[in-house]
Amino acid sequence: MIHSDHYTRRHWLQTAGAGFGSLGLTSLLAQEGLLGSDPADPLAAKKSHFNGKAKSVIWLFINGGPSQVDTWDYKPELEKMDGKELAGFDKNTGFFANAVGPLMKSPFEFTPRGQCGKMVSSIFPKLGEHVDKMAFIHSGHTESNNHSPALFMMNTGQPRMGLPCVGSWATYGLGSVSSDLPAFVVMSDPLDRGLPKGSAANWGAGFLPSVYQGTWLRPKGDAIENLNRPAHMSDAQQLRQLALLKKLNGQHIKTRPGDAELEARIKSFELAYRMQTAAPEAFDVNQEPDHVKKLYGVGDKRCDHIARQCITARRMVERGVRFVQIYSGGMANQRSWDGHNDIKGNHSQFAGETDTPIAGLLTDLDQRGLLEDTLVIWGGEFGRLPLAQKAAKPGRDHNPHCFTTWMAGGGIKGGVSYGESDDIGHHAVVDKAHVNDIHATILHQLGFDHEKLTHTYNGRRFRLTDVGGKVIKPIIA
Amino acid sequence: MPKLVPLLAALLLTLPAAAEDLPSNHTERMKVGTALFQKTIRPALIENCLKCHGDEKVRSGLDLSSRELLLEGGETDDAINLEDPAKSYLLKLIRHEEEPEMPPKKAKLPDALIADFQKWIALGASYDKPLLVKDGSKPAEMRVTESDREFWSFKPLSNSAPPATNDSWPQTKIDHFVFAKFSENKLTPNPPAVDHARIRRAYLSLIGLPPTPEQLKTALSQTHAQFIDELLTSPHYGERWARHWLDAARFGESHGFEQDYDRKYAFHYRDFVIKALNSDMPWDQFVRWQLAGDEIAPDNPLAMMATGFLGAGVFPTQLTEKEFESARYDELDDMVATTGTAMLGLTIGCARCHDHKFDPIPVKDYYQFVSIFTSTIRSEVDIPIDSNSHAETMQKWQAGYQAATAALSTYEAHPDTRTAFHQWLKTKAPSSVTPDEWSTLDFAEARSDQATTKLTAQPDGSLLASGMTPSSETYLLKANPGPQEIRHLRIEALTHSSMKHTGPGRASNGNFALTDLQLFVSRPKQKTNPVKLTSAKATHQQNTTNLSVASSIDGDLTSSGWAVDAGGIGKDQAAVFQLAEPLQLKINEVLEIRLKFSTNGQHSLGRFRVSVSDKSSPPLIVGGGRNLQLDQALKALLTGHLLDHHRKPLFLHFVNSDPKWKTLNDRTRKSLAAKPQSTVAKVQVTSEGFPPTKHAADGRGFPHFYPETHFLSRGDPNQKKGVAQPGYLQVLMRNDKTTADWQQTPPADWTRTSYRRRSLANWITDIENGAGHLLARVVVNRVWHHHFGRGIVATPNDFGLQGVLPSHPELLDHLAQKLIANGWNLKSLHRDILLSSTWLQSSDPSAEKAAIDPDNKLLWRFTPRRLEAEVVRDSILAAAGQLDPQMFGPGTLDEGQRRRSIYFMIKRSRLIPMMQVFDQPEPLASQGSRPSTTIAPQALLFMNNPQVVQWSHSLATTLDQKDPDIAIQQLYLRALTREPSPTELRDNRAFFDAQSASYSGQKNAHQLALADLCQILFSLNEFIYLP
Repeated sequence: MIHSDHYTRRHWLQTAGAGFGSLGLTSLLAQEGLLGSDPADPLAAKKSHFNGKAKSVIWLFINGGPSQVDTWDYKPELEKMDGKELAGFDKNTGFFANAVGPLMKSPFEFTPRGQCGKMVSSIFPKLGEHVDKMAFIHSGHTESNNHSPALFMMNTGQPRMGLPCVGSWATYGLGSVSSDLPAFVVMSDPLDRGLPKGSAANWGAGFLPSVYQGTWLRPKGDAIENLNRPAHMSDAQQLRQLALLKKLNGQHIKTRPGDAELEARIKSFELAYRMQTAAPEAFDVNQEPDHVKKLYGVGDKRCDHIARQCITARRMVERGVRFVQIYSGGMANQRSWDGHNDIKGNHSQFAGETDTPIAGLLTDLDQRGLLEDTLVIWGGEFGRLPLAQKAAKPGRDHNPHCFTTWMAGGGIKGGVSYGESDDIGHHAVVDKAHVNDIHATILHQLGFDHEKLTHTYNGRRFRLTDVGGKVIKPIIA
Repeated sequence: MPKLVPLLAALLLTLPAAAEDLPSNHTERMKVGTALFQKTIRPALIENCLKCHGDEKVRSGLDLSSRELLLEGGETDDAINLEDPAKSYLLKLIRHEEEPEMPPKKAKLPDALIADFQKWIALGASYDKPLLVKDGSKPAEMRVTESDREFWSFKPLSNSAPPATNDSWPQTKIDHFVFAKFSENKLTPNPPAVDHARIRRAYLSLIGLPPTPEQLKTALSQTHAQFIDELLTSPHYGERWARHWLDAARFGESHGFEQDYDRKYAFHYRDFVIKALNSDMPWDQFVRWQLAGDEIAPDNPLAMMATGFLGAGVFPTQLTEKEFESARYDELDDMVATTGTAMLGLTIGCARCHDHKFDPIPVKDYYQFVSIFTSTIRSEVDIPIDSNSHAETMQKWQAGYQAATAALSTYEAHPDTRTAFHQWLKTKAPSSVTPDEWSTLDFAEARSDQATTKLTAQPDGSLLASGMTPSSETYLLKANPGPQEIRHLRIEALTHSSMKHTGPGRASNGNFALTDLQLFVSRPKQKTNPVKLTSAKATHQQNTTNLSVASSIDGDLTSSGWAVDAGGIGKDQAAVFQLAEPLQLKINEVLEIRLKFSTNGQHSLGRFRVSVSDKSSPPLIVGGGRNLQLDQALKALLTGHLLDHHRKPLFLHFVNSDPKWKTLNDRTRKSLAAKPQSTVAKVQVTSEGFPPTKHAADGRGFPHFYPETHFLSRGDPNQKKGVAQPGYLQVLMRNDKTTADWQQTPPADWTRTSYRRRSLANWITDIENGAGHLLARVVVNRVWHHHFGRGIVATPNDFGLQGVLPSHPELLDHLAQKLIANGWNLKSLHRDILLSSTWLQSSDPSAEKAAIDPDNKLLWRFTPRRLEAEVVRDSILAAAGQLDPQMFGPGTLDEGQRRRSIYFMIKRSRLIPMMQVFDQPEPLASQGSRPSTTIAPQALLFMNNPQVVQWSHSLATTLDQKDPDIAIQQLYLRALTREPSPTELRDNRAFFDAQSASYSGQKNAHQLALADLCQILFSLNEFIYLP
């Protein structure tokens, strides 16, 4: 029996705690105008430059490069030109210079959906119901025709390894309002199909302090490391340990009064204790009622995995997590949306994995009133070519010149389309939207002037949008 | 606006004083004015004004983009008043004395900056160049002038005498410089730290480990100087300080990007850094070798290893034709940028797309610097690492070995032997040998997935594991048995003297646990097919559930598995597995066996043999069984289908009973075993003229480098503007020297490399006319930074105009001068620092002193700070008595490993979580100082991490097992380098009593409670802060 425990579970649960940065980090944040409510805490909630409409972001990363002409960018002209060679085509545009085929129409039917009558591919029967919430950007373009640089570009604004990603910038700028969950979480494919190319560098904090990097939830076993008490120990036994720790640390700090760093460290154990129960609870999708699970497609073999991740995303956002990224698909080729072979089979499969869950997420967020301040993004690292890639069943190769992405919620207009690609969806031509512009828009929705959210490192002032970027105002409500 | 009067009055009052400071001579005024412009005015104009006044717009007709336009003024008024600077209209607006307040919609500029504006106007408002160039005319090229060389860090080292004082506090020259600032700021130094804190601080700072109680005792008996001198000879010093440099060198052991392929031979660079520091290699040589060791000392293996520096950055593993050239320019940029920041504290990389915004580094200098590395690439080369006597030893051995093999083959080929063999084949063989029920397999490949384990074939067909046992591993075996039917598979777990309790497992109790057994067949050009195993039985199993033999094929890949404790230790064991269907192996098909051990830490098999059987119910026995090749040959002999390849196993079987042959064979075998160790190492170097490291895009024609480097417009390889020749930074070339003055041409017989890097090394270490003085300042500052938590220059990677100015410039130059005079030896610099009164101060806080100098820039105390990731982990291991002191060699990703943290392999996609959580930087770009964050995941690690728990238990077993009070005293000495206070002893004891009571009923309650206590000590602030 446990008796002499003066420190109860409730005592620990009542005590708040938070992260902390050394004086160096604090003054660095101050220098960039980014100190929060608690100047000693790098993750304390901070004020943005102005009131942003979005408090959180859920980014559905359509990994591998979804084909714009087979999803949201309807191209009747392409149908007419099906089978024709494209004169003057640079065969090094995609990845396989020796497999360039003729123009190829979409294998999918397009029908008008929603109030706005947006033409949507038949692979999105349920998502099509939500087009009135979405703003489409049809004129996206990027700087690399290769997965990993393009992934880095989309995540960090530059096609190189080692810069902070959007989620890190957002957390750096806004801090966290969740004291017992990470501020920025990433979920990858749980079906053993690998990580996106470049793996953790896609959610790395680069030169920002590592507290701002994305926390990758392990798809199997415990989502976060070190959350479970040692097997030999009971809750009461651990509490007794923590009580002694607090006492001894308290005696130590008496000789060094006012040392905020040491105090923060004492607090961090209290927070850690709370995380042991709070975090697994937040990740426990099974707590959801059946009708919610069904809405997302839990139990449907085809999409169960993404359904669970989408529910997790909503539970995170509800609990104040700033930035959630879900990768649909694993590494490359047939393990993701990278449909080099059999674009029809490939996109049918991955649309099937995501259609119900993402539609469920939009419905659920909307019903709970969360969509208003949650920015939902759908998009990959680049688009695909309107030409066939030669294969037994034809596919499509990478296209850096044009892609479609959509945003919904978080102060974005619904049922609108911005920018245009050419008649066959090969190049963005009208109101071209560079990746920097997309990033500027995301930061804008979170309340930031992208030119002013900066960090000085090795003598240079860095920002997410480097020297470019303009906010895409027409899609903002 | 009366309320503004006091402010205005204050400004006016300060003006005369400021004006007195200004030089009267015109040239001098312009020089100071231009410097001020570069330092604060230009950035402020660009940041706050230029967009609306010169760039995108020219509001109110005011254009600030050049001095001429500024002097023209705007629509309302002249912008500045050179006659009466304080009355300038511009100043009134930025002081918010008149509307419109400038800059609009922004906070008012800091007062110091406004004062700078006034001073700048008073100095004549000079620009070094226009902020913008209009009308599409060609931008003016940045010119580097003598005034640029006047910036403090570019100037030659000064020679100031230490300020004199009568005070007794200063003990060394360092102290004199530090003390002078105390006097200026009314500060007094802290008293010296107490002995145990002093000793612990020195240990953690210099070698990254806490002292053992014995070491503490020794140190207490020595003078401080003796103690420091001895500590500096510890080989752990290199392991501690190498890690600092590896941060600056963005060292990693994989490519990064898509596949993040391993760079298996990159660890030699890490070893070079450790060895160089331990041997106190002069810093200039250290730098020279990293840039051009392959040209300076090509026969010295360490010099070759040093070149790993340049090639340690990331590189894409997948490239399209469109990316070839830009990837190469990125790679060159990484070399240039890292050389600049790590060695010179200069952000040369910022001049890639345009002239450097702040420092006098034109884009032209950048591309000339890049050109030095034009043909420099990563290669993996074999480097002989033998001593001189090795060749002789090798020759001797070869002669002996050749004699032995010659005697053997002569005997084997002798007509008498052949005749006897043929006779035996015809007569005795068919009757004397019948095929066995089990046939043992020979393996073409047998290895562990963990590099520390080595599997060696034994004469009896078994495999013996050696090396350090990792916490979990998988043995991968491949055999090519030829046509064969297989119905059963047998694993014999065998004892051996090399194991605890003779095994058969490698665990500390002699046990093993086979978590999972898998069998595969791979057919040529087809994928690998799994072979299903249905039932299993064993001569012994630990239980019938989670440690039964059946659980090794239950599909559970992590926990359950076959183990043999409870009666089976120290004895040979066997397990037989039945195949779901008989397997018909064809010629060329490969049989692959995977044995996974992860049920329990370090529970892999120590010696084992694998056999197969085509019988429907072969016996479950240990032993028996002949080599499969021999079996197959015997079968062929019996059926009369003897083929050529059957003869060898039959012959070997035959001669094995011939005593003469056996003697000769033993001689050969022994000779082979005595072969002098292989003395060639594969090393990753960064050089020229060697074959490039293989790349996935080789098949697409990736050239690895281009013969010429071009000037690029905006960094874009599609916009070339002529070929760039090697050149150095103009701002660091003095006394009318030019690049040619350092350039060295290779000797006539040297063709492999260009000597461009060797020439660079000449410039970068030249104290008189090149960059050597800055090189010295930067390294002195790095050492200072790591000792005091803050450099004399607080931005160790930026000594340019954006960097922080030195807090003690004279001291920095004094130490740099001394370093050079001492032959660039870092150990004497450490010694000077650690013997100073400055370093010896206590870390006690003081509210009064903090009010004067809150950041302790002036060093009135020793700044306490959290230990780095590596030191936290290594200290736990050391205190627990678990640290494996083995130095050098390949690293590992195994979090359970017990070597120092510097021996973790740095794989960029799989950084070690325990290192990351304590702020080890990502190895992507040079890092001069680490942030130190305090976050909940660190606390979770101390509370729940399996290694921390395991090491707490290890520590508990070494403490006194009878008297908890003694155990607590031992624990305090081990973990905190001191005795517990009476209160602490009482609190710890109370915890121990309650905790062990709560474990009552468990037989090791005492141990568990002690371990829980050890874990708390590791979690204490005192444990992970420098005292």
